[in-house]
Amino acid sequence: MFRTICRIAWASLARRLSRSVLVVVMISMSLWGLLLMEGIYDGMTEQMISNAIRSDSGQLSLFAPGFREDPGLNRLIMQDGEITELLAGDPRVKSFVRRLRQDGLAATAHYSRGVMIYGVDLATEKRQGRLDTYLTQGEYSFGEKKRGAIIGARLAEKLKVKIGRKLIVSAQNSEQEVSAVALTISGIVRTNNMGLDESAVFIDMDKARELFMTPAGVSQIIVILQAEKDIPAVQNTLGQHFPTLQILRWDELYPALMQGRVMMNGFNMVMSLLIFGVAGLGIFGVMLVSVLERLREFGIMLAIGTSFAQVRGIIFTESFILGFSGFVAGSLLGGATLFYFYRHGLDLTIFGEGLEEFGMDVITYAVIRTSYFTTAFIAVMLATFVSVLFPLRLLKKSNPIEAINKV
Amino acid sequence: MKQPFLDVKKISKTFHPGRDVQVQALVDISLTFNRGEFVVIYGPSGSGKTTLLNIMGGLDSPTAGDVLLDGERITGVEEKRLSRLRRDHIGFVFQAYNLIPVLTARENIEYVMQLQGRSRSECDHRTREVAEKLAIAELLDKLPGEMSGGQQQRVAVARAVASRPKLILADEPTANLDSKSAEGLMDMMQALNEDEGITIIFSSHDPLVIGKAKHSILLKDGQVAADEFPG
Repeated sequence: MFRTICRIAWASLARRLSRSVLVVVMISMSLWGLLLMEGIYDGMTEQMISNAIRSDSGQLSLFAPGFREDPGLNRLIMQDGEITELLAGDPRVKSFVRRLRQDGLAATAHYSRGVMIYGVDLATEKRQGRLDTYLTQGEYSFGEKKRGAIIGARLAEKLKVKIGRKLIVSAQNSEQEVSAVALTISGIVRTNNMGLDESAVFIDMDKARELFMTPAGVSQIIVILQAEKDIPAVQNTLGQHFPTLQILRWDELYPALMQGRVMMNGFNMVMSLLIFGVAGLGIFGVMLVSVLERLREFGIMLAIGTSFAQVRGIIFTESFILGFSGFVAGSLLGGATLFYFYRHGLDLTIFGEGLEEFGMDVITYAVIRTSYFTTAFIAVMLATFVSVLFPLRLLKKSNPIEAINKV
Repeated sequence: MKQPFLDVKKISKTFHPGRDVQVQALVDISLTFNRGEFVVIYGPSGSGKTTLLNIMGGLDSPTAGDVLLDGERITGVEEKRLSRLRRDHIGFVFQAYNLIPVLTARENIEYVMQLQGRSRSECDHRTREVAEKLAIAELLDKLPGEMSGGQQQRVAVARAVASRPKLILADEPTANLDSKSAEGLMDMMQALNEDEGITIIFSSHDPLVIGKAKHSILLKDGQVAADEFPG
């Protein structure tokens, strides 16, 4: 019997090809739009988070007690040797870097601005957050004599400096005196982390120790893990070993980003509901018309001995085939488009200034998640099945002769 | 006393097309039919022929009265049992052919047999057999839209006959056909009645068609005006 139902359903779809294709196209286009929207929006959010993690916070950051409230060279992590040993031996840890930082002033012949001076090791920064990939001008190096500086793109714009120009960087040292050093701008980075782009001056770690007169200790140790799910466990381990230190997750350092992610998830859900609401209405309309215009045909089936359950089976099978075909077509189309944007990115240069204001990249790389397809499958099937319930109810209320006579 | 094959007992049917409007289509009709009969129900338009056929076939329910097919009550039974009864024991031929438009002639003929769960080879064999009898073998792969009215009606008769029902009810089967096609179709139905022993009850107001029946019932204003056995 199931074979008969499937054969009739298939015959009905195949021999009314244009109607079937219309429904499939409608479902697949809705799905395509939905997948694209989810993937791109998630990509934007994840890129913002990724930028923050790669360029600054890591997934976990360690600070000396009180540093976050009142940063200064008198609040440094002095047990960095022990921490390094622990992190290097933990298989959950992918990489970590140490930074020494101090507020300071960067000045050219004509302009000056308050900056954050970061003493870093470029090699470990490259492994950790691929800082080199943010380079927009110059080279990823402090030069042979370590007298170079890599600065944020917005800071470069504000100071009106270019690669090779001199920059005087001064800061209060650990002796409470003002120290200064003349550096040459060797590189400019655009991380889309607004804090860094507007005020960061990266200098060599040894040069920073010299400038700040701090032979030991670091301001921040930044950790990136192999898997995001390990964050709470590693945070806990570090907390047990170093109870006096402040160990913060990325979302504790950048709560706005976490809120952004939650908001984007909510937004995606609302948009999904709207898109599928509209698509569902479309599917409902087409299915309703398709069943109503075939009421006579179903009446004939009922008259010659088909039970209502079998007619219902035919209608549901048709809906399933249409819904599933739409899902497959939409998933292939949406998946392929997302994959393209995942590999090559979506160039939103036209909105560049606006996006950068929000710390977003101009090129957005899409995200592809299995959950997009599973939720889409459920939504498509639900919309398709719900859309035939009303026509079925109408059919149930008519006797075969009434159905046949309804033309 | 021998039980009649089809027993129509005091059937009445009232329609309510509007709130305060009612039309009495059938009034207290009682009829009996024996197995293997070739019966015509005739009468002017609006006399209640179609309503009576629909009630006898379990497609519509009477306002009052009972219908028994081979001793089994078909009025007032639940829809599931009624559809099984229609599937297994009654064949229908409609005035407007009523073939399933998306199925080919072959698929239409096989449809009821497939619902009955007959095997593929049995369906094939029976379809060929019936198609030859009704001279539609060359039409089997055509869709209803690709056939003439006469051809469609022969396919509809083939569909009704193929599942070997006890009873075939045909509502004005020749109404949309030219006289030559109508006579040809009636001859074929008559042959099926004789060869396969199927009871056939049809309605008509075509004198040529009426003349072929061995049992004729005249309906007027929803009542039996004559019940004769001319042949």
